[in-house]
This record gives sequence, structure tokens and C-alpha cells, in this order.
Amino acid sequence: MTDRRAALWTLLVQLRAVFIKEVRETSQDRRVVFLLTVAPFIQLLVFGFAINLDVDHVPTVVVDLDGSPEGREMVQAMLADGTLAATSPASSVQEAEAMLEHGDAAVAIVVPPGFARDLARGEPTEMQVLLDGTDPSRSGVASGAVSRYLGERGLDLARQRLAAATGGERRLPSVEVRPRLLFNPRLSSAIYMVPGIAGMLLLIITTLITAMGLAREQEVGTLEQVRVTPLPTPVLMVGKVSPFILVGLIDVTLAIAAGATVFDVPIRGSMALFYALTAAFLLNTVGMGLFISTISQTQQQAFIGAFMLILPGLLLSGTLTPIHAMPGWLQPITLLNPLRYFLEGVRAVLLEGARLDDVAFQLGMLSLYGVAILVAASIRFRKTVA
Amino acid sequence: MTAIPSPTSSEPDAAVQVRGLVRSFGAVRAVAGLDLALYPGEIYGLVGPDGAGKTTTIRTIAGLLDPDAGTVRVLGLAPDDPRVRESVGLMPQRYSLYGDLSVGENLRFFRRLFCLPRDVAEQRIARLLALTRLAPFIDRRADDLSGGMYKKLALACALLHQPRVLLLDEPTNGVDPVSRRELWTLLGEFVGQGMAVLVSTPTMDEAERCHRVGLLHAGRLIAEGEPSRLVRELDSPVFLVRGGDRDRVQAVVEQAPEVLAASPAGARLKVVLQPGGTDRLAERLAPHGATLVPTRPDFEDLFLARLAAGGTA
Repeated sequence: MTDRRAALWTLLVQLRAVFIKEVRETSQDRRVVFLLTVAPFIQLLVFGFAINLDVDHVPTVVVDLDGSPEGREMVQAMLADGTLAATSPASSVQEAEAMLEHGDAAVAIVVPPGFARDLARGEPTEMQVLLDGTDPSRSGVASGAVSRYLGERGLDLARQRLAAATGGERRLPSVEVRPRLLFNPRLSSAIYMVPGIAGMLLLIITTLITAMGLAREQEVGTLEQVRVTPLPTPVLMVGKVSPFILVGLIDVTLAIAAGATVFDVPIRGSMALFYALTAAFLLNTVGMGLFISTISQTQQQAFIGAFMLILPGLLLSGTLTPIHAMPGWLQPITLLNPLRYFLEGVRAVLLEGARLDDVAFQLGMLSLYGVAILVAASIRFRKTVA
Repeated sequence: MTAIPSPTSSEPDAAVQVRGLVRSFGAVRAVAGLDLALYPGEIYGLVGPDGAGKTTTIRTIAGLLDPDAGTVRVLGLAPDDPRVRESVGLMPQRYSLYGDLSVGENLRFFRRLFCLPRDVAEQRIARLLALTRLAPFIDRRADDLSGGMYKKLALACALLHQPRVLLLDEPTNGVDPVSRRELWTLLGEFVGQGMAVLVSTPTMDEAERCHRVGLLHAGRLIAEGEPSRLVRELDSPVFLVRGGDRDRVQAVVEQAPEVLAASPAGARLKVVLQPGGTDRLAERLAPHGATLVPTRPDFEDLFLARLAAGGTA
């Protein structure tokens, strides 16, 4: 019993030594300190403001070939809610198409000649709308706005004619669609993006720093000196990664605090659950970092290796594009991505106030993957260094 | 230099025992069947040119490399046994300390890894700092130390846990002569207390400071023993070439098959000859007005002679 306690004490002393050493060494390097503390803030703000998925003020060119008050009124009404914003008008369809081509406008609305006359006669009339399809979500929103408006307008016109014909106000049966957005009522990108950015920062920072930290020891030669001491390999690994797990927890706290103050990101669920998800996710990132370092001889190789993993990790996570928008064959691959589960879990907890049983699957998958990658890394670590 | 017990009588007590060690890196056979024994209280010099297999041998004994064939026993145990770790100190050839940490922080880090009790360790650290004269630099970053001071710090870190076996891979590489002498004096002190030291070096004058040396060539020992005795037992005659035009003499010497090795000695040329080759070389040199003057061989001559013989064998 006392032997086991002494052995445990030994491990703790060694663990503390590696931990202190790692902190001292890291804090000596100002660039790394910057990377760990200030850079995440800047990134959060830059990404929060720059990645704007909100669709409004779509530049719209109007070609009024009719010149009638009715046509003008119709166009004005269409532009009224701010989804579409008028650019300088064009005098011909060709000119409008050229503007679409050059990116000066994303939508062109063409009022055909004789629009007012046809309308007055009660004949079917057409209004042409040209859309720049390069940004599908934007063109989708723009075309939705136009057709919604024209649909309502057509109904109004029908009602007016009916009233005129029958000599009295008549109610027309109609179904009105009123979508109500839950959890993110203002359809704000930032609220959706901040948890994604937090996950992205954690992935980049902790993976890179662990991958390069161990690769540096290998490159410089310090690992050799440490390996001839009685320090067990797992203690070395735990001691080396635990400071960065702490840094990750601090960074994510700062990111969420900044998200809550700057972008009004709500915190509806329990913070304990949020930290549990974060800690489980960090097992994955430091595990991957360690794994990369075992297949790298130098810091440069580790850096490249980490990026080869981080980029697809980001793209296939649902941070920047929704997973359901990816090609069908690609979607199952995201099931291998820890960042996907982290995002699902954190968005559910922060935005929807999810409870443990709501995110138990995500938490379980993160823990499973985390332990698996750590085990793989330590097996490889023993093989490469021994 | 202290007398050491005859190796055969203390065989069971060998601190390090290497038998038939083979280790290759790809197609390169770094160590090709090496036998070596290191005893407590002795400094064993592993001498050889770059690429002879010195570092591979030391790394294998330290448990950093697995042998392809053969056995390595350190204090009777496998080199990667955790119990061995507490009794072995290694000073690698490469920089191996934390450059961003100070002298004191490096020492404290290794003190903790070996779980040394603080009071004992602090006394030792104080003593090592005094011996290495590093005490005034305790707060200096390791990377800011001079080459000699850095090596002394590395030695202090390797000695901190009072190892019974100390492995030094070219410890004086890049060290000025004064620091070099200090390092050797320091080593002598610890060896006197029974430590076994294996030191590799490519320089011959350092080999003469060892109790025993092994000449390593192409991964094999080609000679082993006390340096002075090895030199005494050298059966190749050694001469200085006197007189004659130096360039012409050199050309003759280089082409003469009986010359095992030639090296400059001051303004003259020193030659190591095959046994019985003296007369033939004298005849070749006579037309150029040069004569052979016998001289005392030193360790370098021995090494060159053995290398020439070993290389052709």
C-alpha cells in the first residue's frame, strides 16, 4: 500500500515537473503566448463580422421599359423591405445583363412595355426577374422575396377586381404562410457562427501547439534527455498536453464571453455541460496533435501535418456550411469528425438550452473518439521514440 | 591515473556488458558485432572517426535504440528497464537541454523527474554548480550559455541523480581547451567514487586520459586496452622524415605501400610503417636526400596504424 502511494507520489511529482516546465517554456515564447491569448479574440471578432450569412441589401437593377406609375409603384414596393436594394437603373435588358455579369447587381427586375395597360385591362402580365446564381443562398432569398411579393400583389389585384365587379368588399379564401424562426429569431449569422468559431479556434490552436510542442522536443533533442530519465511516457504526454487543455478551456470561455457581449449569443443551457463538451473535444484535438507529432521529425512537418488535418476537419464539420448542403456521399464522412459533434452539442446547449440527455450522443462520440486517438497516439509514440 | 583491476577477474561486476551488438540504419550497418565491457571506477574511451558507430553504441546502451542482434546489459538489466533509468546518466552529443529555461530551471526539472528529495538534491545542485563554476549563471537561459558552459550544465544534469553508469557522447565537442580540461577533471572526481564512465571521442589526446580505450572502426572494435600499453605494444615502427624537398618526399611517402599512415608533425612528416618496411622506405627516400629518424609513437600513430590495418583486413 505504501509502495503504491509512493509510486503515485512519484508520478505526481514528475507530472508537475513536466507541467511546470511546459508552462515556463511556452511563456518564454512571446509569439506562442500571443497565439494562445490575443489571436483567438481577434479571430473571433474578424470571423464574427466577416462571415455574414445574412442575406439583405442584394444589389438590384431595375429596367423599367413601361415607364408607368403602376410599374414604378410596384418596383418601389418590392424594394421596400430592404432585402433588395436598388442600384442605378438600366435602360435595356442587355445593359442589366451586363451589370449582372460584372457583379454590379445580383438581381434584375424588368418591367415589360405595356405593363400598366395589361394590368388595367385585367390581362395576365409578366414581370421578368434575372438572378445571379453564383451565390445560391443569396439568389434563393432574393427570388423568394420577389415571388412572395408578387404573389401577394396578384392576390390584392384579384380582390380589388372582384370587389369592383360585385360592387362590394369580398373576402377571398387564402392561406398565408408565416414562418417563425426558433432559437435564432433574427436569423443572425453571428449567433450561429460563434460556437463554430470557438470550435475552430480550439481545433487550430490546441492541435497545432501540441503537434509542434512534441515535435520541437524531438527536433531539438530534449526528448532524448528526458527519455533516459525514469519518467514514464504517459506522464510525459499528459504533462505536455494538460497545459494546453487548460489554455483551450480559457480560450473557449473568452470566446463565448465575447460572443455573448459583442454578438448577443445567448447562453440558454448549462455551462457545466458546455465545458464537458469542450473538454471531451479537447481530448480529440490534443490527441490528434500528439499523433501528428509522432509521424513528424521536425516542427515544420508537424505544422504541415496539422494543417492537412485541420482544413478538411473544418470544412466537413458544419462550421462554415451546413452538413445537409454537402453532397450525399460526403455527408457520412462528417460522422468521423469530432468537430461536428462538438458543434452540434454546443449549439444545442447554448442556443436551445439542451440538457444532458439531448447531447449525450455528441458527448459520448467525442469521448470515444478522444480516447481512441489518444491511445493510438501513445502507441505510435512508443514505437517511434523507442 | 589509477590502476584498475584486470577486466577478466571482475567480469561478473561489469556495469555495462555488450555482446555481439549489431544495429543497422537501412542499408548502413552502424555497429557490426561489438563486444564491450565497462567496469565501475573506470573511464572507457570509445575512440573512432565520425561514422564509426560511437553514437549508435552509446544510444543503444542508453536504451534509446533497440539492437538488431546481440545483447546489452546495464547493471545486469535490460537498458530500457525503469530501474536502470535511475542509475544511468546520459549526455548526448546534440544539445539536449531546454534552451528557453534557465540553468536553475533545467536542474530543477531533472531533479523532479528523478524524484530526488529536495534537500539532498539542492545540496548536490549547489555542489555541481560550484564544481562547474556555473553558480553565477543560475538565472541565465541555457541557450545563452557558451558552448563550454552548456556542456558543463548538461554534465551537471546527467550527474544530478548520481548515476552508477555515465554515458558521454563526444562531451568536449565544441568546447574550448580550458573548459575541456575542467570537464575531464570533474569526471575524474566522480570516477574516483566508483562511477563507470563510457566516453566517446574522435580526438586522440582525450583517449590518452582514459583508463581503457576501444578503437572503433566500421562498427567493430579493432583494438582495446590501456592507451599506454597499446602504444607500447605497437609493432609498427614510427619515424620522422628529415631533409629533402617536402613535396617530393610527400609524393614518395604517399605511394609507398609499406607506409600505413603519414601525418604532419611540425614542419616534418611522421610516418607509421608496416613491420619490416623501414629499409624499403629508406631506400626510396635516399635519392631525394631524406632520411628516417626514429621517434616515439603516440596514440594517434597507434590509431592510424590500426585503422590502416583494420581497413585492409
